[in-house]
Amino acid sequence: MSSITRRYVLKMGVLTAAASAATRAGGPWIARAQSKQLVVCSWGGAYQEAQRKTMFQPFEKETGIKIVEASPTDYGKLKAMVQSGNVEWDLVDVGDLNVVAGAKDNLLEPLDYQTIDTKGVFPQVVHKYGIGTIYYSTVLAYSTKKYAKGDHPKTWAQFWDVGKFPGPRTMRNNPLDNLEFALLADDVPIDKVYPLDVERAFRVMDRIKPHVNVWWTTGAQPAQLLADGEVELATSWNGRIYAIQKQGARAGLEWNQGKLQWDSWVIPRGSKNKDGAMKFIAWSTQPKPQAAIVNEIPYGPVNQRAFEFIGAQAARDMPTAPDNAKRQVMVDPVWWGEHRNVLVERWNAWLLK
Amino acid sequence: MRRPRWTSEWLLVPALAWLGVFFVYPIGRLFYASLFTPTLSLGNYAKLGGSPIYLKVFVNTFEISATVTLIALLLGYPLAFLLATAGRRAAGLMLIGIVLPLWTSVLVRTYAWMVLLGRRGLVNEGLQTIGLTDAPLPLLYNRLGMTIGMVHVLLPFMVLPIYSVMKGIDVDLLKAAQNLGANRRQAFLRVYLPLSLSGLATGCLVVFVTALGFFVTPALLGGRGDTMIAMLIDVQVSQLLDWGLGSALAVVLFAVTAAILLAVQRLTGAERLWVRVP
Repeated sequence: MSSITRRYVLKMGVLTAAASAATRAGGPWIARAQSKQLVVCSWGGAYQEAQRKTMFQPFEKETGIKIVEASPTDYGKLKAMVQSGNVEWDLVDVGDLNVVAGAKDNLLEPLDYQTIDTKGVFPQVVHKYGIGTIYYSTVLAYSTKKYAKGDHPKTWAQFWDVGKFPGPRTMRNNPLDNLEFALLADDVPIDKVYPLDVERAFRVMDRIKPHVNVWWTTGAQPAQLLADGEVELATSWNGRIYAIQKQGARAGLEWNQGKLQWDSWVIPRGSKNKDGAMKFIAWSTQPKPQAAIVNEIPYGPVNQRAFEFIGAQAARDMPTAPDNAKRQVMVDPVWWGEHRNVLVERWNAWLLK
Repeated sequence: MRRPRWTSEWLLVPALAWLGVFFVYPIGRLFYASLFTPTLSLGNYAKLGGSPIYLKVFVNTFEISATVTLIALLLGYPLAFLLATAGRRAAGLMLIGIVLPLWTSVLVRTYAWMVLLGRRGLVNEGLQTIGLTDAPLPLLYNRLGMTIGMVHVLLPFMVLPIYSVMKGIDVDLLKAAQNLGANRRQAFLRVYLPLSLSGLATGCLVVFVTALGFFVTPALLGGRGDTMIAMLIDVQVSQLLDWGLGSALAVVLFAVTAAILLAVQRLTGAERLWVRVP
């Protein structure tokens, strides 16, 4: 082989590799040029399935805007996309804290409230950079094999009482939720939880620490651990317990002293289909789609007018049903936004001690 | 026929380009981010030094990785020997058995250990059925469960390098040694072991370094005292979005790992590690 040909072959090889890399990196962009599509990222699992059935598919049919799904939500990815200018997601389902944090880091587009009609939407979930998707709760969950319904622990003080309520436990590996629960266990009234008395909360956490067998990190874990009999008491997101109950697992949940919070839609700054994203938000916060999704999976609608379309039984199983809501703490995302980073570090140190 | 020297240099270009784009550049960015987020300062490193938790987690990480490496070596060395000395068919079957798990995701293998080691898992139910124990043993969500899971995932990386070196050792050397008056133990310790040392060192290094960055297995099988550094990096990068601190943690892990690699090379002789002694 002559040197020219050899060099040529090498060059071609490099070029081909570069070209295929470019195609891969630019894939969604090229596809997008062909039709105006909306890339929506959510949490996957039963929740995203419900979103698909009650929101994504009907919206697509009504507007002709094609929805491409991604999952799961990853804040690191979101930040990387915005900072690198290669924004693949147009709309992202995030936890309430990340609206405040994302706005602070300048990662989000402000919402256009000319397009979005907030009539009936609970004011607390309406934010300049995000709007609620659904309400959910972190609650006390238990194995009904071990504790018959009614004989289960109904307060965090009882969850902490390992003498009266023995059995392996799991709690979230995060100061979120746990510090609130610790204060409730120490008889702080629901409306006095915020601002959190952090010192007191950690002191109360000291008491339960040796009795917690597993510190969960993903939402699927506590439900799995309960279903497997690995633990008998847990803190868990309410929808996960519902999901394993449907599969026949012997698990129950207690609304009393749960923590109510919400997920939000946000639009990453530099989204390539901002208008479509805004349209979807406007559409999905209306009463009918809100009713449809919570009829599919027992979360709470963010639009109170949705209750006109929700059956009485379904309404009772929701975190925001009046009887359930009044016994729970409502998250304070602003307080957490200010203290979270410091507390996570303290939590990690506390866990190792 | 001798080829001109520059040919072989050209052949390196794709590999170097690959390394440059996907290794050197990202690591440079990481280093940059650790110093320049939010503005140029050593603030992120000061934060690491200022809190005892990071030192503790680093110590944890190295302790766990060393334990896993040692156990993998104790299990892997005899296995590699068996493999190198077995008949062709048997060796082929064993090799498949060792390599096959690599095609299953780490997550799946980790969940499989949950099924086996849980309170109602196969092991505990079995022990209770035959009456050896009357309450479930804590095999999971602690250092033990996590070590078992990590050794399982990393064992092939110990066996394969040792095996490849052992394959090149002439077994007749052992016979020659015994012929010259060595007993079996002496023949092994003074002939076979030194010849297999380069494989052993490579295996240990690969396992140790990979273990340092482990995330999934310790996160799912470990207990509250078993936090590894990758878990803290994940929290900073994807939950708290503090990329400065996350990068600083990664840089420190990278630097310490590189230092260990260099030290081991110095101690054992550089070529020994990477090149098979003929």
